[in-house]
Amino acid sequence: MELSDANLQTLTEYLKKTLDPDPAIRRPAEKFLESVEGSQNYPLLLLTLLEKSQESVIKVCASVTFKNYIKRNWRIVGILVEDEPNKICESDRIAIKANIVPLMLSSPEQIQKQLSDAISIIGREDFPQKWPDLLTEMVNRFQSGDFHVINGVLRTAHSLFKRYRHEFKSNELWTEIKLVLDAFALPLTNLFKATIELCSTHANDASALKVLFSSLILIAKLFYSLNFQDLPEFFEDNMETWMTNFHSLLTLDNKLLQTDDEEEAGLLELLKSQICDNAALYAQKYDEEFQPYLPRFVTAIWNLLVTTGQEVKYDLLVSNAIQFLASVCERQHYKHLFEDQNTLTSICEKVIVPNMEFRAADEVAFEDNSEEYIRRDLEGSDIDTRRRAACDLVRGLCKFFEGPVTGIFSGYVNSMLQEYAKNPSVNWKHKDAAIYLVTSLASKAQTQKHGITQANELVNLTEFFVNHIQPDLKSASVNEFPVLKADGIKYIMIFRNQVPKEQLLVSIPLLINHLQAESIVVHTYAAHALERLFTMRGTNNTTLITAAEMAPFVEVLLTNLFKALTLPGSSENEYIMKAIMRSFSLLQESIIPYIPSVITQLTQKLLAVSKNPSKPHFNHYMFESICLSIRITCKANPDAVGSFEEALFMVFTEILQNDVQEFIPYVFQVMSLLLEMHKNEIPSSYMALFPHLLQPVLWERTGNIPPLVRLLQAYLERGANTIASAAADKIPGLLGVFQKLIASKANDHQGFYLLNSIIEHMPPESVDQYRKQIFILLFQRLQNSKTTKFIKSFLVFINLYCIKYGALALQEIFDSIQPKMFGMVLEKIIIPEIQKVSGQVEKKICAVGITKILTECPPMMDTEYTKLWTPLLQALIGLFELPEDNTIPDEEHFIDIEDTPGYQTAFSQLAFAGKKEHDPVGQMVNNPRIHLAQSLHKLSTACPGRVPSMLSTSLNAEALQYLQGYLQAASVTLL
Amino acid sequence: MPFGNEQSERMKKFKNKGKDATTLRRQRMEVSIELRKAKKDEQILKRRSIVFSFVHASVSPAEDKNEMSQLSLEDIVEAVNGSNTELQLQATQATRRMLSRQKDPPINQIIDLGIIPRLVEFLTHADNAPLQFEAAWALTNIASGTSDHTKAVVDAGAIPAFISLLSSPHMHISEQSVWALGNIAGDSALYRDALINCNVIPPLLALVSPETPVEFLRNITWTLSNLCRNKNPYPPLDAMKKVLPVLICLMKHEDKDIISDSCWAVSYLTDGSNDRIQIVVDTGILPRLVELMGRPELIIMTPALRAIGNVVTGTDEQTQAAIDAGVLAVLPRLLRHAKPSIQKEAAWTLSNIAAGPSRQIQQLITCGLLPPLVELLDKGDLKAQKEAVWAVANFTTGGTVEQVVELVQSGVLKPLLNLLLAKDSKTILVILDTISNLFRAAERLGETGRLSMLVEELDGLEKIEALQTHDNSMVYRAALNIIEKYFSGEENLDLQPGTSQDGLYDFSVEKQDFNF
Repeated sequence: MELSDANLQTLTEYLKKTLDPDPAIRRPAEKFLESVEGSQNYPLLLLTLLEKSQESVIKVCASVTFKNYIKRNWRIVGILVEDEPNKICESDRIAIKANIVPLMLSSPEQIQKQLSDAISIIGREDFPQKWPDLLTEMVNRFQSGDFHVINGVLRTAHSLFKRYRHEFKSNELWTEIKLVLDAFALPLTNLFKATIELCSTHANDASALKVLFSSLILIAKLFYSLNFQDLPEFFEDNMETWMTNFHSLLTLDNKLLQTDDEEEAGLLELLKSQICDNAALYAQKYDEEFQPYLPRFVTAIWNLLVTTGQEVKYDLLVSNAIQFLASVCERQHYKHLFEDQNTLTSICEKVIVPNMEFRAADEVAFEDNSEEYIRRDLEGSDIDTRRRAACDLVRGLCKFFEGPVTGIFSGYVNSMLQEYAKNPSVNWKHKDAAIYLVTSLASKAQTQKHGITQANELVNLTEFFVNHIQPDLKSASVNEFPVLKADGIKYIMIFRNQVPKEQLLVSIPLLINHLQAESIVVHTYAAHALERLFTMRGTNNTTLITAAEMAPFVEVLLTNLFKALTLPGSSENEYIMKAIMRSFSLLQESIIPYIPSVITQLTQKLLAVSKNPSKPHFNHYMFESICLSIRITCKANPDAVGSFEEALFMVFTEILQNDVQEFIPYVFQVMSLLLEMHKNEIPSSYMALFPHLLQPVLWERTGNIPPLVRLLQAYLERGANTIASAAADKIPGLLGVFQKLIASKANDHQGFYLLNSIIEHMPPESVDQYRKQIFILLFQRLQNSKTTKFIKSFLVFINLYCIKYGALALQEIFDSIQPKMFGMVLEKIIIPEIQKVSGQVEKKICAVGITKILTECPPMMDTEYTKLWTPLLQALIGLFELPEDNTIPDEEHFIDIEDTPGYQTAFSQLAFAGKKEHDPVGQMVNNPRIHLAQSLHKLSTACPGRVPSMLSTSLNAEALQYLQGYLQAASVTLL
Repeated sequence: MPFGNEQSERMKKFKNKGKDATTLRRQRMEVSIELRKAKKDEQILKRRSIVFSFVHASVSPAEDKNEMSQLSLEDIVEAVNGSNTELQLQATQATRRMLSRQKDPPINQIIDLGIIPRLVEFLTHADNAPLQFEAAWALTNIASGTSDHTKAVVDAGAIPAFISLLSSPHMHISEQSVWALGNIAGDSALYRDALINCNVIPPLLALVSPETPVEFLRNITWTLSNLCRNKNPYPPLDAMKKVLPVLICLMKHEDKDIISDSCWAVSYLTDGSNDRIQIVVDTGILPRLVELMGRPELIIMTPALRAIGNVVTGTDEQTQAAIDAGVLAVLPRLLRHAKPSIQKEAAWTLSNIAAGPSRQIQQLITCGLLPPLVELLDKGDLKAQKEAVWAVANFTTGGTVEQVVELVQSGVLKPLLNLLLAKDSKTILVILDTISNLFRAAERLGETGRLSMLVEELDGLEKIEALQTHDNSMVYRAALNIIEKYFSGEENLDLQPGTSQDGLYDFSVEKQDFNF
């Protein structure tokens, strides 16, 4: 493309078309531009247009197009690959770099921003090596005196340098920073001083001040970036200049710069806020050098806090400022700055208390944006809020001054409570602040799970609870003073471990009552508080609050919980649903009378939300609640399972048919639970579904695999005979699933779960023809890509097989696949790896299996395998006695990451659908050690003399000693 | 990528727990670029002779200040280039006096006069000792300036001239030469090696004897230390082997300056590859170094600590030698030292010991290093805290589960988690890796629940959560990883006990594996 007027004209036309709302016109134009991107001069044509076009809309469009073009194409990634060729030729690159800075600086602001962005993208790649004159070019503009130009330079510099704030120290980075410092630090300092002087000469010119303050903000930001990695020599030498000026800017005010806007921070606030950050940076990183300035900053920042208003626009400034004080006050060598009683009082009174007040904005959030309010207040996403900063300052001050601070605040709390008492409807905010103050003063350590875990001993929490919290909650109207209600409930929740149990018991009916409150925050808090109380631990690992203690409240609790779900704004309230689940789990059989109504309500809810699942937590707890209903009811009355199936299957079918992906793993788990409840042969309704469960499409979704395996296991447990007789043609499909799972390093253990169930439950003749293939498949995996997890599962499986089919059958099938295979597996896999098997049941299976190989497998006694007999016995004794070997070979360290590219969190395991641990050996063998002794005894009677001689020749002494222990315990001897 | 290979290489090792402990040891040369002011506690590179010492005054001819100050620069050029030895001496002396002025010596102006070659020539005037001495002094002070200044002296051929003056019968001349050579050696590796190649070492070492006056011995020691100094390249190993025995003797001297400079020399020698460390270890000097490390004087403690710090960057055996010499008994005091740079250096040393095998970690525990380490992590200067973080990181990488438990019990978590607020991405990343290590140990003990609760109680969880929005991609990924792995399972942990009477929750074996 030549730099011709004709081409400029063409490009203008196309750019215009890209703005057309009609896609039929817009799309081809965009396509065209993309197709000419690789042509030489294309970027230069764009630059020409954005500078010279007659139409301002084309100028802007060209600048955006240019920026995006640079963003996509400037970076050359490593060695050029075919599909990513370098689209910008060298001469264009040089021309762009030569022209872009002056162009940017002379452009109107809208275009300047685009070009500034483009410069920083280019700079990220080319600066400093391939763009050596960029800095001087920029610095020279500082002298222009034109602050439009200067701000352009500063903005560009900021976007170039801000990465210094987060990148790791490296030679390359520091070389660049040094270069920048050498060229930039002095001019920046001079500019800083000059700008400040101009501020005082233009103190009465509002529009000039705005521009100058924008510059100062950028300068302060640049200061932060340039000083971030380490304290540069230049800035250490010029600390006086910078800090003196920063300090005076902190104390500066000018009516002309104050804004009317209550929400948006003005220039003055932004600048001061950045200065607080700069001071905090120095205080943290360069303490030694900054020490002489620090006290001045402490005073200035604290005065700033005292004089700053409550408007939202000051929030960032105030929270930055308080955080600065909080970080300083807990350091030993600055302790003295805060020590004085007057200082402490003044900080408490003028900084902390005002910033804990409930503001109009909080009130709006409480009513209109409850979800956000709850998240901030309950889940601690309140970082950067004033309250939070004030709370941190309280905790910081308590490090050295817990006594005095508690004393000062006690006075405040009392006076605020008195204010409230005088006229509650007007002064309720005073009480809110008092509660918040007590809370922040008392809490020293906190977790979501346990609430406060460490409290300030100087605060009497129970007394406050009885005198000031309970009365509010006992008041007749649940809808009066909702904020105070929420405060009170929250107080119970977080101090539940500090308040005595009898007080908690008194609170429970109050909380249940507040489930009816109209305020979303209040009834949500009530549900959450109940849920938390129900999870508290008592002695002996039981719950603190027992089902018996809850007996009088069961009906009202369940009624109010389900009613709360019908309150406006709470139809999918996860806190309420979680409370329902927890109540079921606590109350157990006392909920049975209410189950018919409960299950109807849950089913309706399920049907409703399955149209558009949007609240994953809510849904999860809903399924948990369904599982609990089933378990609790069927435990008392197994026949009830039919009525659950009746209630649920219709919805389940709809979910499966509509492929509601979020719910399918849950449905499988509930079905497994239901199926396991059946005592007799599998119902036909389940059998009809069986073929569908083997559909590959279901197995492609990672999240389906665990629950589907679980479900198939339930089918095998309950219906192996039915499958063998009525669905024998599906057995290959079933094994196909096994094969699919075993092929994956991530899912192979699931494949083994399935295989173990098949071997355990299917009638032998039904799988006879497949047995050899199964082993071949396993051996292939073993040969090509074995992992520790695979070996562990494999060992359990072959021993289970041995128990089920006998040791001889195991040896025969191995050796029929390949001669001497059995010996090889013993020698290379079983003996060296058996130590890695983990889990009670797994170890037991292996012990019984190996005992069989040792004592019920004739080839072990009279073929070349005999030499493996003692090593195998020794390995078995090791399995009994040695600690588990949990070393993992190096190359496996990263398997999880490498082999599960399709990581999905879609599977959410339901705890209450949990499967009981299954022990296929069960009663057959109680104590595997004694079983070994008895089996050896039996063997030795069959061939007297052989066993003792094998033991005495090669079993090591320690193992022999253990073995003698087993023999003694079993009261048998070896002949 | 903004971070070097060295970096990612290290991180890899970090995850392959305890695989190759030596790679955890961090040499002093992390980055060779400095943004900061040269450190105040570094040894002085070059020195100018400002005040008249007693020795100098006594051998100089009578000095008439008025007469001297009247000499203009033109006069000096003329006199120096002329043949009148008296005027030569006067002019050289005037030059030397200008250069010895306390403020702003006119080094550049003197160089511009073009008289340096002439001054070098005066060094060879063995018949005129006062002239030799004044020229040597003037040149010493010129060489004490910037690299360009030193270069002017070297380019005029001063190196061989000064080396031959080492053997001058006049002690004050040989002493002045030692000084000049020290300035030249201190300038760069290039000049240092030029001196070594001109065989400076034998005559220099020959000056050391029991009779050498202390003042003189100080100069010699300082010059020797400059001959050991600088990297890229390191000084030739065989030359260092010659210097070393003398340094060892000097280190046993009672004069503080001599001890200090000989310690500096050894600290340079050990600041390199393991074979360099080995020659120092082989001399058996480590116990003395450790003793000196414990001395109250900063000028001794600083270089001795550096030297020991360097030794423990070496092999496990070299580190063991330092441990056997008693380093662990002295470190607690240094970790609590009032001066931040000492804290930092001590913590760095400790971090490298912690990078060793578990038996060395055990010694570190036994010798009571955990309490001061935790204290430092809590209250130390940020630079020292960063090193302490490394120490903890290395400890958790190479330590056994029991040792890691001991570390946690000593209260390391709270200060460690607080440092997640540090304004330094690297430190944050190292802490996150350490936290992962702790969780890995907890996993083996089945205590992840307790650890995550502890982390949350100490406000660590919200700090880690906040890091998920960090601008540095490695940091946010590490934070995300920890949250996903150890804190997102809250519901399941939550659901486990409480109503477990009927075994409803007994699902533990499979549950682990569901974590793909």
